[in-house]
Amino acid sequence: MSGAEWQLVGFSLRMALASLLLVLPIGLGLAWWLARKHWPGKALVETLVSLPLVLPPVVTGLVLLQLFGRRGWVGSWLHHTFNCDVVFTWRAVVLALAAMSLPLFVRAARTAFEEVDVKFEQLARTLGAGEWRVFFTITLPLAKRGVLAGMLLAFARALGEFGATIMVAGNIPGRTTTLPVAIYQAVENGEDAHAWLLAGVSAVIAFAAVFVSEHLLRRSQ
Amino acid sequence: MSTAVLTATFRKQFPGGPEIAVDNFCVGRGVTVLFGASGSGKTTVLRCLAGLEIPNEGEIKFGGEVWFEQSGRRHTAKSELFLPPRLRGAGFVPQDYALFPHLTVAGNLRYGLKELPAAEAGLRVAETLRWLGLEGLENRWPRELSGGQQQRVALARAVARRPRLLLLDEPLAALDTPTRLRLRGELRHWLRELRIPTILVTHDRQEALALGDDVVVLHHGLNVQHGALPEVFGRPANLAVAEITAVETIQSGKILAIREGLATVLAGTARLTALALDLPPDTSEVYVCIRAEDVILMQANSVQSSPRNHLAATVQAVNRKGSLVLVTLDCGFPLTAWLTQAACDELALQAGAQVVALVKAPQVHLLPFAR
Amino acid sequence: MCRLMKLIRQILTAAILALAATAGQAATVTVFAAASLTDALKQIATDYEKSSGDKIVFNFAASGTLSRQIEAGAPADVFFAADETKADALEKKGLLVSGTRESPLGNSLVIVTSAEAAAIHSPAELTNAAIQHIALGEVQTVPCGTYAKTYLERMSLWPAVESKVIPCASVRAVLAAVESGNVDAGFVYATDAATSKKVKVAFAVPAADAPKISYPLALLKDAPEVEAARKFLAYLDSPAATAVFKQFGFLVRPSPPVK
Repeated sequence: MSGAEWQLVGFSLRMALASLLLVLPIGLGLAWWLARKHWPGKALVETLVSLPLVLPPVVTGLVLLQLFGRRGWVGSWLHHTFNCDVVFTWRAVVLALAAMSLPLFVRAARTAFEEVDVKFEQLARTLGAGEWRVFFTITLPLAKRGVLAGMLLAFARALGEFGATIMVAGNIPGRTTTLPVAIYQAVENGEDAHAWLLAGVSAVIAFAAVFVSEHLLRRSQ
Repeated sequence: MSTAVLTATFRKQFPGGPEIAVDNFCVGRGVTVLFGASGSGKTTVLRCLAGLEIPNEGEIKFGGEVWFEQSGRRHTAKSELFLPPRLRGAGFVPQDYALFPHLTVAGNLRYGLKELPAAEAGLRVAETLRWLGLEGLENRWPRELSGGQQQRVALARAVARRPRLLLLDEPLAALDTPTRLRLRGELRHWLRELRIPTILVTHDRQEALALGDDVVVLHHGLNVQHGALPEVFGRPANLAVAEITAVETIQSGKILAIREGLATVLAGTARLTALALDLPPDTSEVYVCIRAEDVILMQANSVQSSPRNHLAATVQAVNRKGSLVLVTLDCGFPLTAWLTQAACDELALQAGAQVVALVKAPQVHLLPFAR
Repeated sequence: MCRLMKLIRQILTAAILALAATAGQAATVTVFAAASLTDALKQIATDYEKSSGDKIVFNFAASGTLSRQIEAGAPADVFFAADETKADALEKKGLLVSGTRESPLGNSLVIVTSAEAAAIHSPAELTNAAIQHIALGEVQTVPCGTYAKTYLERMSLWPAVESKVIPCASVRAVLAAVESGNVDAGFVYATDAATSKKVKVAFAVPAADAPKISYPLALLKDAPEVEAARKFLAYLDSPAATAVFKQFGFLVRPSPPVK
């Protein structure tokens, strides 16, 4: 594997990690909210969160393009206020990866939180802990395995993300080209050997991530 | 009860389920036993006091502090106040202890001591462990502890914070009998030393008698009697309390005459003399309640003795229960008596034997029929 | 038994004749064509279908994509690309029917800008800071991108603008990107720019400076509908078709085919 190829793998890994950093706070919050609270319309939120799992990824990409494009609701604000572009930059890659891997994380984390007995949280409150402290010292540690498994799944999904990424970030070598996009382009260019090499790398990483994730999920049961 | 430290009047309705309604529930400075049968709502009351459940309406006050206030009327400006558990300073020990599985014993104790500087917290932990006989267990995990040790760690964790109020839910129920009996004595000792107002939930009469100063009896979610333990258990206010506090003989009877504060009661075919205090004036039908431990048996020959009630009785059955014997008699109505094994042997009691049952008039309790 | 066999034979014969009869009618010709030919070919096909009774089915994409698909065995009758090198590659692999290849069309490059972008009047202005993103067809698969890069290299502008380049999957994707405003400028054919009202033509690349843009057209060797395809190819050379191409802005070369 050449230097350029290692750089590509490095870039993909960095983007997947960055998307994980974005997914964690949002995902943990959503998962906890869905696990512990009940309110009218909860089913709607559950459905929306699960949507990217079943929608064609290009549809999610389309929605992101609409929101974050220079003329989109969020994109135009960012462009005019901070002169910051999202579409066709690494930011769009992180966004697309995060949008596609969030549902997987939320599912795993929610189940993990639901399996934590509320009696521990209640007792912690009688010992003087506020809600944030209860979450970080009781709920999260007791749900550790499931949350970690969710993170791995999200990471693996992010690494393999293609449809939304190509819509909203394009394929700019060195700047937004991720591993799956590079594989697609290699096939387009007729570079089959190159494509198979990258596919192999992709498969190895994904296999490792899912393997460990499954192991963690099994152990927590 | 001199001064009430906590007063509560509230109602908690579980959707599609039971309702708990306590009225003027008062707790004094000592150990108050919350006594009742399983399912009477004792745990719910405790959890409402801890702040883990929110009543539908009512008020809970501790010292001068309002912990909960909610008027039930919806169309007036609701005065809603709910002090969350973390601000109440009430130590809570649930029936299954709920020790944090991911923290060591020391970690569990330290959890409630976050406001203290680290050094002081460490000292407090060591001191509490020592006091409860748990030295050396600082670094053990909850799953490595025996039932008795877990119970003590749960208590230690609640007590380390120096709470203003201690709430114990069936503290000995999860233990096997020998451990339970041993720990009961120790618990009594610790509670006396702590001198924190304590509410202790139990359905076990022996436990209540051993650990409590005052008792509140809970029946189907309602508090039906409160007062000093011996008084409530000795003089149940109504039939429900009598049944809950387990008076062994309850018999319907008819008042024949009342003279000079004494009533003559016809129970079955026997005549009894009882105190007629607190009876409404024109009561005629009553329940007669006699505790088994208040019945004395003697040989069936007439001897002058003080008890007003001499009842000729035939032994129906003799049942050994540990070091005591439960003797079932027929004296015109079914009567039970607790005797020591030695006494039983001396009287040579067996089914069919003729004896005389003696009951002092003050120990024959009369309860008007509930209307 | 003999009578049964006779009956079966009769039914089969009738069926085959019926099929043959229908085969003689409406054939479906599959045309793989460069994205820039979309509007022109669709109109030509509509006219042709009315007169001939055959049906034309299109696959519009970047020429590189199309040639890859054909190499992978995609069932197609006609190949109409925007880059001679793509046809050369197929010819070398023996996938074209010899004697059918011709180059009927040419085109010209233009630089288009989005509605909000700063106005530019020359290619050198592409290096301005105000132009942050330039959309180009992916240079290995999209002829328009290859032509644009060659042009920029000739103008010695390529090193300066290379970092601003956003590769797109086809010339129409470049157009769409400029229309959406997510890129500031892009290189498309004059014919594509003419189809859109949402972009401004900032600069037309003079033919002298641009590389030669030529559209090869050929019959594919494994064509499922050879006869119908030949008919359509002939129609594409006809005055009716030529008029439509001219109308859309293509440069029409006179026959015979250029080799």
